[in-house]
Amino acid sequence: MDKITQKIRETAKLALENGEVEKIIGWTKGDTFDDSHPVFITDEDKADSLIWDSFCVNNVSKYLIKELKQSNKVGVFLKGCDSLGFNQLIVDNRIDRTKVVVYGISCPGMIDPEKVKNEGLNKGLKSVKRSGDEIIFITSEVEKKLSSKDFEFDKCLKCRHPNPVVYDQLMTDALEEREVDLEARFKDVEDLEALSNDERSAYWKNQFSKCIRCNACRNICPACSCVKCIFDNTKAEVSGKAKADTEEQFYHIIRAYHVAGRCVECGECSRVCPAGIPLHKLNSKIIKDLNGLYGEHEAGLDSSVEAPIGMFKLDDCDSFSKQGGGKK
Amino acid sequence: MMKKISKSQFSQLFSNIDKSYQLFLPVELDGKVNFDLWQEGDKVNIEKLKTNISPKSFIFPQSETYMKFKRDGKKLKIDNVSGKKEDYVIFGVRHCDASSFKLLDNVFLEEPVDRLYEQRREKGTIVTMACFEPEENCFCTSFGIKPQTAPIEVDVTTWDLGESILWQSQTQKGEALTEKLNDILEDAANQDKAELNSLQESTKGKVKELPLAKLDPTKITGELKDLFDSEIWQELSERCLGCGSCTFVCPTCHCYDVSDFKGDAQTGERFRCWDSCMFSDFTLMAHGNIRKTQKERVRQRFMHKLVYYPNNHEGVYACVGCGRCVEKCPVHLDIVKVIKKLGGE
Amino acid sequence: MSCNCNEEHVNPLIPEIVVIKKMRVDTQDVTTFRVTKPGGGKPFEHMPGQCAMISVPPLGEAIFSITSSPTEKNFMEFSVKRCGEVTEYLHSLEVGSEIGVRGPYGNNFPVDDVLKGKDLLFIGGGIGLAPIRSVINYVMDNREDYGKVDILYGSRTPGDLVQSEDIFENWPSRPNTKVHLTVDHETEGWDGHVGFVPNYIKEIEFSTDKVALICGPPIMIKYSLQTLLEIGFKKEQIYTTLELKMKCGIGKCGRCNIGDKYVCKDGPVFRCDEIDELPDEY
Repeated sequence: MDKITQKIRETAKLALENGEVEKIIGWTKGDTFDDSHPVFITDEDKADSLIWDSFCVNNVSKYLIKELKQSNKVGVFLKGCDSLGFNQLIVDNRIDRTKVVVYGISCPGMIDPEKVKNEGLNKGLKSVKRSGDEIIFITSEVEKKLSSKDFEFDKCLKCRHPNPVVYDQLMTDALEEREVDLEARFKDVEDLEALSNDERSAYWKNQFSKCIRCNACRNICPACSCVKCIFDNTKAEVSGKAKADTEEQFYHIIRAYHVAGRCVECGECSRVCPAGIPLHKLNSKIIKDLNGLYGEHEAGLDSSVEAPIGMFKLDDCDSFSKQGGGKK
Repeated sequence: MMKKISKSQFSQLFSNIDKSYQLFLPVELDGKVNFDLWQEGDKVNIEKLKTNISPKSFIFPQSETYMKFKRDGKKLKIDNVSGKKEDYVIFGVRHCDASSFKLLDNVFLEEPVDRLYEQRREKGTIVTMACFEPEENCFCTSFGIKPQTAPIEVDVTTWDLGESILWQSQTQKGEALTEKLNDILEDAANQDKAELNSLQESTKGKVKELPLAKLDPTKITGELKDLFDSEIWQELSERCLGCGSCTFVCPTCHCYDVSDFKGDAQTGERFRCWDSCMFSDFTLMAHGNIRKTQKERVRQRFMHKLVYYPNNHEGVYACVGCGRCVEKCPVHLDIVKVIKKLGGE
Repeated sequence: MSCNCNEEHVNPLIPEIVVIKKMRVDTQDVTTFRVTKPGGGKPFEHMPGQCAMISVPPLGEAIFSITSSPTEKNFMEFSVKRCGEVTEYLHSLEVGSEIGVRGPYGNNFPVDDVLKGKDLLFIGGGIGLAPIRSVINYVMDNREDYGKVDILYGSRTPGDLVQSEDIFENWPSRPNTKVHLTVDHETEGWDGHVGFVPNYIKEIEFSTDKVALICGPPIMIKYSLQTLLEIGFKKEQIYTTLELKMKCGIGKCGRCNIGDKYVCKDGPVFRCDEIDELPDEY
C-alpha cells in the first residue's frame, strides 16, 4: 500500500477516535480501475476503506454545504484544485471554515479513464499504479509501464496548483513541483479568439446544441452553490427547455456569467459533461477578460481576497435595488 | 433470406437509403460518436459499441413542442402541432438500445396511447448491428439481451463480418426497406452464414468472461416494502450530486416535464421535455415535497427500474445493461452497484 | 400499432376548450368554476372521484378533482384553492374566459358497487370537500340506492367552509341525511360546533357499519383515520384520496408514483388498507 493511502487512513482513524471530527469525506475504491469515488465515514473502523490513487478526481468540498448542517466538524481530503474550490465556497459564505479540518494532499495529476479506454488498455485491467512520471497498467497477464503525460486529464497537464493552498495537515511530505507553462493557460481561448465572429458563433452554437440540459456542470461546480438556482425557478422565466431558438445556449452563457470572477478553473464542468462540451473554455475566456479589465485575480487562491465582480457593498450605487442608490 | 453487402459499398448503401428515408447513423465528431443525419463525407463509425447519447431521442426527443396556443381577449385557441412526418431509418443500433425501445413502448403505447410517440415509432425503421466484442461495462446479458442476436421485434438486423456486413430483415417494415436496396444487396453465401455462426458462438464465450457477467437482477428478492426500507439507500445516495446525467443518457428513462413557453404576451407553445427524478424539484408541490432529500430520490430511481416497472410489466426490468450510467456518473453511482448491494450477483 | 378506425387520433395531452360560465367565490381563497363547452354541455363524462387537468397557457396546467356530480348533465365544476401560479391565474380570470381541460383521469369512488346499499359517512376538511361533493351529489341524485348518509365537514373558520349552498341548504334537506359542521376555533357569529374534525367524529359516536370516505389536508386524514379505527372501523371500510404533483395525468411522465402505483392512474382514490401496502413515501 502506498505511503499516502496509509497516512490518510491513520489520520482519519485518529481524527474520528479522538473526536477531532464527526465525519470524514474522502475517497474509496469501487470495482473498476477508474472507480474512485467520494465516501462519507463516521466510524473509525471504516477508515480503512479510504484510498488515494490517480482516479481521486472528485472535489469533496461541495458536500460540506449539506454536511455541515448535520455535523459540527467535518474533515475533508483536498487536492490542489479542490482547495481552490474550497476557498471559493468560503468566500461565497456557503461553508464555515472553522467547522472544517482540511487534510491536504499534493497531487501529481489525475488519470483520464477515457484516454486509457481510447488506447484499448482497459480490457482486463485490474489496477493502475503511479510511480513518479510513469503509470503502470496491471492486467491479469501483463504489466505495462507508460508515461503519465499521455494519460492525464488535459486540465491536469496545465495544472498550476498541484499543492493545496489551504490545509490544516498535509498528507504528503514533499510538495509537487510542476513545470507551469503560463502560455498554456489561455491557449484554448486564444485559438477561439483567432476565429472570426461568425466562426466562433458557429462553434459555440454547435457545441451547445449537444447539451441535454442535465445540469451536471452546475451541480459539480464549486462556484455554483445558490440555495435556489435561477434555472430551477420557473417564475424567473430564464432559459426553459423548449426547443426554441437559443434556449440551450442561454443556460450556459448565463451560468458562465454567474460564476465569473469565482470560477477556480478546476475543469470539472467539462469532465462531467455527458455530451463532451468543452465548457471550461467559456469560463476561461471570461477569466482572461476579467484579468485584462480588472487586474489579475485568481479565484480560490486566498479566501480573504474579494473577487473583482459579484461582490457588493450596501453603499454601492446601483439603480436596481431598493437599498442601493448611493453615489450615482 | 439473409443478405450481404461489402463495406466498400457503404456509401452507395447509405445514399440509396437516403433516397426514400431520412437516414441516421453513428457519426464520429470531436472524438465522440452519436447518431446523426447522414451526409456524404460523414465519418461513419460502426466499430464504437455505444453511442454517447442513446437513440431514445428519436422516439422520445429531449424537447418536443406539441401544441401552440393563442389568447385573444377571453378566447383561447389551441392548435395541435403534428409529430414526425418523414419516414426514417436508424442504422447501427445496438441490441441494448433496441431493447430499450420495447421498454418505452410498454409505457407510451399503453392506453391512452401517446400519439407523438406512436407516430415516431411508426415512421422509424430500426436497423441493428450485433456486437461481437462486448466491453467491460456491458451487462446486457443480465437482462436477457443477446449481443450477438437481435431481438425479434427489430426491423432489420446486421452483423459485421469485417469486410462486409450481413443483413436480415425481420418485419414488414424491414422487408420494405430491404426491397428498396435489392439492387445492391447480394444474397449471403453459406460460408458467410458459417462465419456468422462461429462469431456468435465465440461471443457467447466472451460474454461469460466479462467483469459484470455474474450480475443477475433476478437474485434480488424481498418484498417491495423491505427493499424500500433498506439501509443501503442512505449510503448510496450520500455522494449523489442530483444532476440528471444518468437519467438523460439512460436509454430507458422516460420521465418528462410539461411546460409552456411564452412567445409573446398572447401566443406561445406547450412542450414536453426530459425531466429527471434526480432533480430536487421533481416532486415539489405547493404544499411541499414528498422526496425531500437525495436519498429518497436515488431510492425512487432504482426502485422504479428494478421493482416498480417489473411489477407493472410482467417482471421486465427497466434496464438494458448498456453501461452508460456506469461511464457517465461523475461520482460512480450506477445501477451495477445497486444491483450488487441488493443481492443481485 | 396503427388501427383501422376512422376516429382522428388525438394526442392525449391536448386539452379541449371550455368556457367559464360561473365563478362562485366560496372563501377568501377558494372559488368554484363552472365550465361548459363553448356550444354548451360537458366536455366529457366522468365518475365521482375522478380528476381533470386544467390548462391555462402560458402558465401551464394543474390537476383538480371534478367537484360536480356526473348526474349534472349540463356543466362541470372545479373548486380551486389559490396557492400557486396556475391557481392565481385562474382566480384572475372572468366569466366568459376560455380555458383548456382534459380528462377524466384516475379511478373513482366505487359508487356503483361497494357503496351501493350501504350507510355512508363522508368526512371532509377544507378544500377536501371538493372530490367528496361529487360523490355526495351522485348519491343524492340516486338516493334510493344508498342508505343513511352522514356528512361531517370542518374548516379552520366559518369563512373557510366551501359549498355553502350544499352544506347549509341542499344536503340537510335530503331524506335520511345529516350534516355535521364544525370549525377549528371559536369564532364570532358561529354558533355551530367548535372542534377539530377527528374529535368531532368521536363525539358523534357513529355506528361502525358504514363505508367512510375521507378527504382533506394530510394531517386531518391521518387523525380522522386513527379515530375511526379507534371507534371500531376497519381499514377496508375507509376510502380516501391522495394528492401528488402531476404533469401528464396519464401515467407516463413518471412523477406521481408511490411505489409501483401511479396516483393519476391507479388513484387518486385508495382504500386505506391498500395504502398500507404502499411504501412509506407519502
